[in-house]
Amino acid sequence: MHIDSMDSPSENDGMELYTDQLDPTFVNSRREAVIIFCAWLVALCWCVPFCYLNGYDVADPENISITLGMPSWVVWGIAMPWIAADVFTVWFCFFYMKNDDLGVSPEELAAIAAEGN
Amino acid sequence: MTMQSTELILLAAGSNAALITFLLYTLAVFGIAAFSNQMLKGKSFLSEYFLGSRGLGVWAFALTFAATSASGGSFTGFPSKIYSHGWVLALWIGAYVVVPICTMGLLGKRINQVARISGSITVPDVLRDRFESARFGLMAVVLIVFFMVFNLVAQFKAGAMILKTLLSDVEIFHRAAEFFHTVMEPWSFLGTDSEYLICLLAFGIAVIIYTTYGGFHAVVWTDVMQGIVMVVGVLIMLPLAIMMINDLAAKDASSDASGMSYVTQEMSKLVPPVPTEAQLQVNSPAATDRLIATGTWISTESAEGTLRLFRTGNDAEIVAGQQVTAVDAPIKLIELVNASDIKQVLENPSSYTVVRDLQLVGLKQTPYKYGGSPEHKGTYVTGPGPSPDSDIGFLPLSLAFSFFFMWAISGAGQPSSHVRLMAFKNTDTLKKAIFTVAIYYTLIYFPLVMIFCCSRLLMPGMEMESDRIMPAMAVFLTEGVGMGWLAGLLVAAPFAAVMSTVDSFLLMISSAVVRDIYQRNINPYASEAKIKKMTYTVTIIVGTAAMLGAVNPPQFLQDIIVYTGSGLAACFLAPTVFMLYWPRSNKEGCMTGMLCGFAAHFSMYFLGVFTNGSFFKPHRFIDMDPIIVGLFVSFLATYIGCLISPAPPLRLVKKYFYKRKELQRT
Repeated sequence: MHIDSMDSPSENDGMELYTDQLDPTFVNSRREAVIIFCAWLVALCWCVPFCYLNGYDVADPENISITLGMPSWVVWGIAMPWIAADVFTVWFCFFYMKNDDLGVSPEELAAIAAEGN
Repeated sequence: MTMQSTELILLAAGSNAALITFLLYTLAVFGIAAFSNQMLKGKSFLSEYFLGSRGLGVWAFALTFAATSASGGSFTGFPSKIYSHGWVLALWIGAYVVVPICTMGLLGKRINQVARISGSITVPDVLRDRFESARFGLMAVVLIVFFMVFNLVAQFKAGAMILKTLLSDVEIFHRAAEFFHTVMEPWSFLGTDSEYLICLLAFGIAVIIYTTYGGFHAVVWTDVMQGIVMVVGVLIMLPLAIMMINDLAAKDASSDASGMSYVTQEMSKLVPPVPTEAQLQVNSPAATDRLIATGTWISTESAEGTLRLFRTGNDAEIVAGQQVTAVDAPIKLIELVNASDIKQVLENPSSYTVVRDLQLVGLKQTPYKYGGSPEHKGTYVTGPGPSPDSDIGFLPLSLAFSFFFMWAISGAGQPSSHVRLMAFKNTDTLKKAIFTVAIYYTLIYFPLVMIFCCSRLLMPGMEMESDRIMPAMAVFLTEGVGMGWLAGLLVAAPFAAVMSTVDSFLLMISSAVVRDIYQRNINPYASEAKIKKMTYTVTIIVGTAAMLGAVNPPQFLQDIIVYTGSGLAACFLAPTVFMLYWPRSNKEGCMTGMLCGFAAHFSMYFLGVFTNGSFFKPHRFIDMDPIIVGLFVSFLATYIGCLISPAPPLRLVKKYFYKRKELQRT
């Protein structure tokens, strides 16, 4: 077993292969991750408090307000945000997210080389 | 004819369809496995077998991701919860508004890139290569195997239980069960439920064979098929449920509402049934043994002369010459207390037969702790929802917050999702797949809430066997509109959901053993033929071991699934996020975070033994689910661990965070 064989690599192996510029795929991915996290936070801050304030401890539940056949707090607290989130997803995927190059894996390189031969 | 006998008739009508569906289904997955095996030829075996050569297109990637995430819980546990707790389940599942974009978008592009840079084909591979630490890779392997083996056993049980429900009225199945029962008698470790054992063997052997033979591509393409079955099943059930509700509303002179409005109005008047324990008594000693089956409706009169309606939750027997059931084994029942539910049962003698010659003695009733008293009205249409055992209701505010973390954030931390994120072809595939999964989840989860709110009115009294509500409702709806043949397709959806999860987990465990332990630590120079042989052998052994573990399965099925799912997220999410997005992250910090996440999450469950009397009733710190504690501790420990330990080698930072120089052509 050579558990530790990879734990002591040479410090500067392959440094000359890289520029001083951050990888654009990394930069774009990080920015997109922040946006997604914010979207989750917005959804959390809307759905849970809205449903809690309007759907819990309802004074007269037998006459609960109904919208589109469902309790109104479900419609405005979950169903509409769901549609909004889908619209956001469309915008994010097709208008915001960058088409970054993900690189070529070693086995893909080997396959390309094999084809070349 | 009891409600149970009605169900039997309905199930019998749909049973052949169920059997045919299952057989067609099995044939289809074997066909896919054979096709996938052909694809292995001429490619790097490990990369193709465990990762599909990173070539997944939009539909394959989207549906395998969605189907793997939607385990059996989506089609058994979730409908059962909707039936039991009402509209508040819309909030319980509310985080799914952002689950697709969170679970695929937060890490997807970057983990795929890092896996390509390092040439990794498994999750432990990525962690090991990213930090060049074999120890880290092994730690990840141990945790994945630990959690997934337990989960696999639980999922095998879920698959067998669903198949048992599907085939519950197939004559040949019962004959086979009787034969098995005699065979099993000398082998006590096989238990006594021969029907369950047959289903476990059929389900287990099918999954093990097609997963072993076809590898990742077989898993992915069966997931695609299973994903389509799931969404088609839901989309057919919704209009059928509303049609049946409209029929019900038309007979109700007291309301002019229809469709979902009628459902919500009626649900607002409902109160939960009363859980009851009693002995059953007949007027005169029985001449022969009398079996009172689970689901039998019993009507009695109170001292004031009013009618009371009960439904049994387990089998009971009055032996010949006796008048009552055994004293030491009280029968579990529920008493319906809503006039509309009682009316639905009594006014439909063609559907429900009520036994009237039984009395209940030694009656002991324990109303719901929340929702069972007059001050909690309308609990099925408001939060926190009725609960038989919690006096703060089913979904208090703290748990609603927890589930928003649980589904969206901890979903992003599942290694089984990470593997799929490493397998898509390019960014364009990721973008289209996120959109596809978003629409897919919208079409599944919210309609499920609507369908099973309808089931509350259509099928009263299912509380004690609510896990069966999905297949029971499927048969009820299709028979109700004269399309019994559809039942087979609808009841296949939960089966498909479990199958798609089990095959993925099986492959993850075998990849952890073959790639991460054997090839990378024991024999890096093993020939491809040897690796191939070992992969097939390990997949069969792991699958068989999990199947044997499920012969006498652990009791807490759903609890094990929750524990392992949240535990994996507590271990893997923080280290993965830091390794992908923070150049300063290092192996010491990420390993610390992984261990601390495990310890914090585990300690909440362990504390539950002392505070709540069971490991699977975890201690809830400020009423939060253990996942919150696990994630918080894991993120904090990773961050602090990275800061107080040496900076990572510049070479690694450059490799994973900086742009590579263009190679000049000569």
